[in-house]
Amino acid sequence: MKTRENPLVFRAKRFIGFLRILMRVKKGILGLLIIIGFGVVAFIAPVLTPYSPLGEDIETRQPVAQQFCVPVWFKILPFQLIGNRKFSENFKAVDDPGFPKLTNDTANGEWLFITEGSGVSAHLEPNVDYPNPVPIKDYLRKNGSIAITFTREEGILYTESKAYLFKKFDYPFDGPPVAFQGNVELLPNGTTYSIGTAKYLDVPIKVRVFLGLDGSKNWTLWPPLASRESMEIGSLNALIPGFTVNYTTGEVMIRQPMNGRTENGYWIISRASRETANSYIDEEELARLAMGLRIDQSPIPLIFTKTPGKYVYGIELTFIDTYHPEKTVESTVYIDDLYVATYGNSFGLMGTDHQGADLFAQLVYGTRISLYLGIAVAIMTVVLGLSVGLAAGYFGRFVDEFLMRFNDFMLCLPTLPLLIVFAAVLGTTLENLMIIMILLGWNGFARVIRSQTLSLKERPFVEAAKAAGAGSSHIVVRHILPNVMALVYVSLATSVPGAVTAEAALSWLGFFDPGRMSWGRMLYNISHLGGTAQVAVNPVWVLVPGLSISLLAVAFILVGYALDDVLNPKLRMRK
Amino acid sequence: MGLRAFIAKRLVYSFALVVVILCFNFIIFMLMPGDPSAFLMPVDPSEAMTPELMREREQLLADLWGYGQPYHIQLVKYLKNLLSWQFGKSFFYKTEVTNVMNWRIPYTVFLIGGATVIALVIGVVLGIMAIQRRGGLFDSGSVATSLILNSLPTFWIGLLFLLIFYVTLGWFPNAGAFPREWAGGKGPVPFTTSINFSSNALVGVFSIDAEQALKLIGGFTHHAFLPMLTLILFNFGGWLIFTRATMLVTISEDYVITARAKGLKERAVLFKHALKNASLPIVTSAALSFSYVLGGAMITEAVYTYPGLGRFIFDAIAYQDYSVLMGVFYVLSICVIVANIIADLLYGILDPRIRYG
Repeated sequence: MKTRENPLVFRAKRFIGFLRILMRVKKGILGLLIIIGFGVVAFIAPVLTPYSPLGEDIETRQPVAQQFCVPVWFKILPFQLIGNRKFSENFKAVDDPGFPKLTNDTANGEWLFITEGSGVSAHLEPNVDYPNPVPIKDYLRKNGSIAITFTREEGILYTESKAYLFKKFDYPFDGPPVAFQGNVELLPNGTTYSIGTAKYLDVPIKVRVFLGLDGSKNWTLWPPLASRESMEIGSLNALIPGFTVNYTTGEVMIRQPMNGRTENGYWIISRASRETANSYIDEEELARLAMGLRIDQSPIPLIFTKTPGKYVYGIELTFIDTYHPEKTVESTVYIDDLYVATYGNSFGLMGTDHQGADLFAQLVYGTRISLYLGIAVAIMTVVLGLSVGLAAGYFGRFVDEFLMRFNDFMLCLPTLPLLIVFAAVLGTTLENLMIIMILLGWNGFARVIRSQTLSLKERPFVEAAKAAGAGSSHIVVRHILPNVMALVYVSLATSVPGAVTAEAALSWLGFFDPGRMSWGRMLYNISHLGGTAQVAVNPVWVLVPGLSISLLAVAFILVGYALDDVLNPKLRMRK
Repeated sequence: MGLRAFIAKRLVYSFALVVVILCFNFIIFMLMPGDPSAFLMPVDPSEAMTPELMREREQLLADLWGYGQPYHIQLVKYLKNLLSWQFGKSFFYKTEVTNVMNWRIPYTVFLIGGATVIALVIGVVLGIMAIQRRGGLFDSGSVATSLILNSLPTFWIGLLFLLIFYVTLGWFPNAGAFPREWAGGKGPVPFTTSINFSSNALVGVFSIDAEQALKLIGGFTHHAFLPMLTLILFNFGGWLIFTRATMLVTISEDYVITARAKGLKERAVLFKHALKNASLPIVTSAALSFSYVLGGAMITEAVYTYPGLGRFIFDAIAYQDYSVLMGVFYVLSICVIVANIIADLLYGILDPRIRYG
């Protein structure tokens, strides 16, 4: 007689045999493939998207684009299908703002430099840098700057010399951007004269940042002092620290040298993050003031007159040499982090939400939440239902009575309102929602197991086991449990969709975990914060999360049905 | 046990359940965040809150709900109030909860009732058609469709319908139960009553204006169409699958084989023999599914801003309007219990074996 097989080998063989039967059921394979697909997406989510689970920039936790962007590929859709050639994307006009380089100095330099008048020269200064207090991006912390120097021997006056540092770039999109954001940091130094304790530059400097179509009018983006409105704004000094403002002429000058390494050793024309897009230091606001526009006028249609087109962005320095002919003078301005970026109305594979967060990242990471919640809730409800069902069915009496009455009671409670009330009482973290779903979900399955156990415990094999002296726990675990496992497997698969859709429904009603972005919450965002108008603009935002929910649900149901087919041969025969 | 005893037993049992649910309600709302001082706020915002008024309100609250008294007294007052259909004042609607609830109930009944009946009919008919052609394309196709429709989130179907029929095509409205311009009783009046004083007698004239009546029905149907369609699509699949499953069991029974052997037509076999016996579980589970349908209806009402009880409870949670929440939750529980009683009784009447079980 053959010796008994190693139990592990036996189990493995049985499992493989089971899989082989399952593979014969086509819908089972389909369901399994879909689930595996979702599992893979959930697992490799960080590879699929560079953004955080909430769709923000991983490092800065800032939005990645404008609000309510449409997907990039909408551009190639026909007009009838809400496509529009004129959608624009995010665009960085400057490649390396951390260490700006001149074209005539290095091969990869990107800044052109021309002068008007005498005495001005420019060179790279790799060691001078300005600590940016707001780490918008890594490159802004990079060492290196361009130094523009004005020198003059004693005895003559150049009166006014100008330096232009600029870059020509191709704006590649058919439509104008929605917003733009620029930045420049300046450190002035040079020979000085003193009045009291204060030191003043012998050659003060006027600064102007400009942007415009190449060969056409260049618009001043900064300083914001061209209009009367801006002159009346009291806090200009806070707006442009370190500059001297002449409130009658509107002239902005650098008059004093600065120590670049001290706390206030930098001037920032604009470092507005989009988080403060509507605040006073918003670059669009500054540009509007600088261009002398009314509050309801946007600078963008004036600047971006031709799309696509070639544009110039740069800085103009005017060295005012009228005061000290008697000595040799020198003024140097170190320029760093000079960049401009435009923000379009399309972004990524799915667009952005109401906060400018990437929807695709939210979708991909949402897979994790749905799988985690669905599977965890299914396992817990089944385990709970199984234990109570076995106990009630086998031991009967008090447990049974309690279970049945509780079951009746649960049947009378309107489930969804109850879920909502509990969510409101307990708070809406994901784990809380899961606990509520488990507590409300186990009783149906317990009832099924109970009735099965009731019938099983009267079978001859249980009687035989009892006669052989087996204890209750042995009978339940070894004889009854294996006989209800088919039900357990089927119920495991079919409880997942309920949990996933319940979570989606709760999220959509507003009971979502504020720290996590699930598919249901994505749908909440579009219908409550985007509104119907947004549904029409970016239907992908509605379609894809909803389809994902139903695809996942259907996949689990298919697997459940396949398991049912395989494990209940009676059903197979009925066909 | 006769039918009468059976009914009596079920009724007593259901009443016990109502009391249990009331206690459960009581505990839940004790646990709710926030405190009853919200009830003390002036009902009219322009009303100044004087200390006397405050005391008066507190007294009212203590009289009605027993606040500040021991829990068992509170519980007794609570039970008494709810059983006598008294839910207090809604601090959001500034009126008695029952006032708002009473005019909302018909909308929900209309929506759920209509959708359930239509979904049931469609589901059963399609289920029988699937059974007739079992193994065929129609069978697998209809089962697959039902599965998918049944697992779609209700609110998502709603959002899609809004996108297609409201935003894109503009065929249906997105909110309300009747055209906006009808608000405040300005809707069409389908009948007129007038009293004429003729020479020697008082003549009351009651006339129905067909055009106006059509307009009235049309207005309501137009607004209820999308919510109802959503609910029907969401529900009919379940009935289809259920009908198909129960029919599968009955058509393999001996009496069906006998009927076939007798030479009866397939149609007669299916409808007279198989369906008749399969209808029992279908009818009872229709009543039992009420709680499930209610959840779907609640979300549907929220999507379409349909002024039923679902929307009511949804808003109440948003405004933390606990008296409304309590009242609606209670009413919904009662509805489910009533549905369960009906299911029990139907089963008892349709299948005499149950009564002796």
